Amino acid sequence: MTEQSRSTTVFCIALAGLSAALAVALEIRGASVDGAAVLLLGGLFLLAENESVTLPNNVSWSPSFMLAMAAVVVFRAHGALLGPLYVGMFGGAYLPQIRRRAWRKVLFNAGNFGLSTFATALVYHGFSVGFTGTVGGQILAGIAGALAFAAVNTALIGAIMMLSSHARVGDVVREGWTAGWQIVPFALLGVFLGRLYLEYGAVMVPLFVVPIFIARQTFASFLEFRASHEAAVSILIGALEAKDAYTAGHAERVAKYAHYIGLELNLTPARLERLRFAALMHDVGKLVVPNHLLNKPGRLTPAEFELVRRHEPVSVEILTRIDFLAPVAPSATSEHTHYRPVADEHGQPIEPHIVAVADAYDAMTSTRSYRRALTQQVAFEELRRNAAVQFHPRVVEALISALRRRGEVHGAGHEEDVHAFAVPPPVAGLGSAGLGDLLPESGEVTSR
Amino acid sequence: MKHSMDSPPESSPAGRSGGPSLTVNPRHTLLRVGIVAAIGLLVAAAVQTIGPGGTWTGLVVLGAAAAVAELIALRPAGRAPLSFFYAVIVVIVRAASTGQYFAILAGALALVALVCVAGPLAPRAAVFACRAVGGSLAWVGYAIVTHAHGPGDGRYEVLVALAVALILGLLGDDAVQWALIRVAPSTRGREADLALIASGILMAVGYRGIGSQPDLGLWGPFVFAVPLLGAWYSFERLRSIRTTYEQTIEALSAVPELGGLARRGHAMRVASLGVRLGRELGLDRRTLEQLRTAALLHHLGHLCLDDPQVRGRDIEPGEVADKGAEILRESTVLAPSGDILASDSASLASQVLRAASIIDELTEGDESRLGLALEVLDSGPGYVYDPRVVAAVERVARRADLVATAAR
Repeated sequence: MTEQSRSTTVFCIALAGLSAALAVALEIRGASVDGAAVLLLGGLFLLAENESVTLPNNVSWSPSFMLAMAAVVVFRAHGALLGPLYVGMFGGAYLPQIRRRAWRKVLFNAGNFGLSTFATALVYHGFSVGFTGTVGGQILAGIAGALAFAAVNTALIGAIMMLSSHARVGDVVREGWTAGWQIVPFALLGVFLGRLYLEYGAVMVPLFVVPIFIARQTFASFLEFRASHEAAVSILIGALEAKDAYTAGHAERVAKYAHYIGLELNLTPARLERLRFAALMHDVGKLVVPNHLLNKPGRLTPAEFELVRRHEPVSVEILTRIDFLAPVAPSATSEHTHYRPVADEHGQPIEPHIVAVADAYDAMTSTRSYRRALTQQVAFEELRRNAAVQFHPRVVEALISALRRRGEVHGAGHEEDVHAFAVPPPVAGLGSAGLGDLLPESGEVTSR
Repeated sequence: MKHSMDSPPESSPAGRSGGPSLTVNPRHTLLRVGIVAAIGLLVAAAVQTIGPGGTWTGLVVLGAAAAVAELIALRPAGRAPLSFFYAVIVVIVRAASTGQYFAILAGALALVALVCVAGPLAPRAAVFACRAVGGSLAWVGYAIVTHAHGPGDGRYEVLVALAVALILGLLGDDAVQWALIRVAPSTRGREADLALIASGILMAVGYRGIGSQPDLGLWGPFVFAVPLLGAWYSFERLRSIRTTYEQTIEALSAVPELGGLARRGHAMRVASLGVRLGRELGLDRRTLEQLRTAALLHHLGHLCLDDPQVRGRDIEPGEVADKGAEILRESTVLAPSGDILASDSASLASQVLRAASIIDELTEGDESRLGLALEVLDSGPGYVYDPRVVAAVERVARRADLVATAAR
């Protein structure tokens, strides 16, 4: 056992021990609680923790705090502090962790939830002296209690993270407070649940909890459906794309670059999602172009070029058919993504420009049938040279700084797949989206 | 450019459920909610000025809330939209006298009628019939239980009476729906009803309290509607991601057609016929969904095959299907559809898919020629097409009156 791991163990045991000692001390001083209430609220707390949903940003979300808050309101007089402490300690019995025999985590959670809920009770009761009974006063006290919960919870999680993985204090605090504010609405619900319990007894609790659990269950199936079907669509696109060895993985990479640019430009999560999807689908029309034309190493005849050009309207038609993507359907045409500096930018979605830049960057940094991959430096220069003429300047700079920050290098010498060439592709020519430009008649670009 | 993406209802087993609803155009919902709320509050203010301190003011506000609630619905897959109307109605049932209740109910429905003026008349009228019957039954249910109990306000009696009111109201609504527009009550998506009933009871108790316990007044219904709104948000997200996925598959199904590899609309027609045949043959819902996806994507493999003149030989029968199956099998979600598509599969769903596809070829996309296609299928040797499938085609054709009875 390393020293780091040992100190984590000691910390977890100490935390659970502190909660237990606190409970014993309160009992000795004459505190007593209604066991049935502890079982009901603690059991629901446990259920809520076991049913938590992990959001895409890795924050785990569950309505459990609502039950902690309800416990704070429900227990009064002699049990005002002991009851919430017990209910919180219940929350540590996270079943998967018990099944995995992760006792340290169980001890930590029991101690953490116990002490956090205890702190909530302290603040709530301290705060509500003066306006006991009024709804407004209880709501204010509830919000203060929620912030106390968040503070203790953040401090303890921060401590264990620094012990076990040397996380930075700033990151821990920032994450903790974001999560902290998210529990405030649950504090309000918890206050009302507690009032109901006091006035009408336990029979009201399921009436309150059932819709919340149904909401949670549905939200969980939404997240699950989204994940599995997003995967299905990207696999489908990837498999179709694989017919052309040169552009295999192109859509997935364009989606990745587009996502980087979107993050850099601070798009909302909903727009990021749409952007990723649109980027994945932007070249779908290329599927109607016969293989032998896509892979033609040399120059296309005007007739063949016409056939290749057909893919753009097809892409637009496909994207238009999906309501979610319809607003950014012009992503699929070179005409609409062409940046015009004079155009009025307001109200025009920036997504088509993002896809255009991501597409061009990937086209330049991967080997195509008509040209070998260029280096990243050349690609950057080329994007910058055409910024404000062909590409949206802000989008170009966003891509370059996003890639630099991540230290990602693509292009010649850094390609994912190394191709075996039947006919060695030429070294020059920029092209776009793997479709092969009409090369100059004189054939000044030669194969090597 | 054609936008005929709305599949006929029978073709989608996932069921974008076609119950009556006024929540068809989400773009105008907010505007409508605003108008209804504004009118309701104006009336409430007027009532308050005429007779301050009475019960009417609160009831008018609740009536306006019921009208607003009509515009919001839980829409789980497979169930007709469940509007929030009943959650508010039960609050009024608990708080109003008989005369007050029916006056407010009529007012709320009139308010809804005022802002929902778009769309064909018949389905809108059906909605009002449903709500009027459901609303009356809710009152009847509540009255029966509270009368049986006698005077006084027992906690359990009130809770039971509210639950009975909601259940009767929802059942009545279902029954009228079925009677008027033949939307059969479904067993799916009923967790939405559970959420609505639980929240409705709480909202009613929150407004009026039980016995001598203090109530929350108008705060009550609004606070206890929050969990229900959470459920609504989750159902909407799930629904929109489902729609996007279905539209993506449908859009991809058009790629071979846009590339000139299949007749326009072939994939959609095969999917529609395939699902009808599959239902005729008693396939379960999950298999029907997989069959539909397989049918939509059954030409996709063609896109990955080289041109015959390039590779120097024709495309073999089954080659397109097998290439498609290979692609679909790469993803866990689509793999079952790939299994249906594979040319060596003998499952009933596969037989249905093959028959549906060949029928669309024979009829050249014109379903009125189904009888003709059936004769071709019938005259072939029995081992080529599963006799059960041929019989199902015959039933479908006969029902649509597309096959002359004398000729059989």
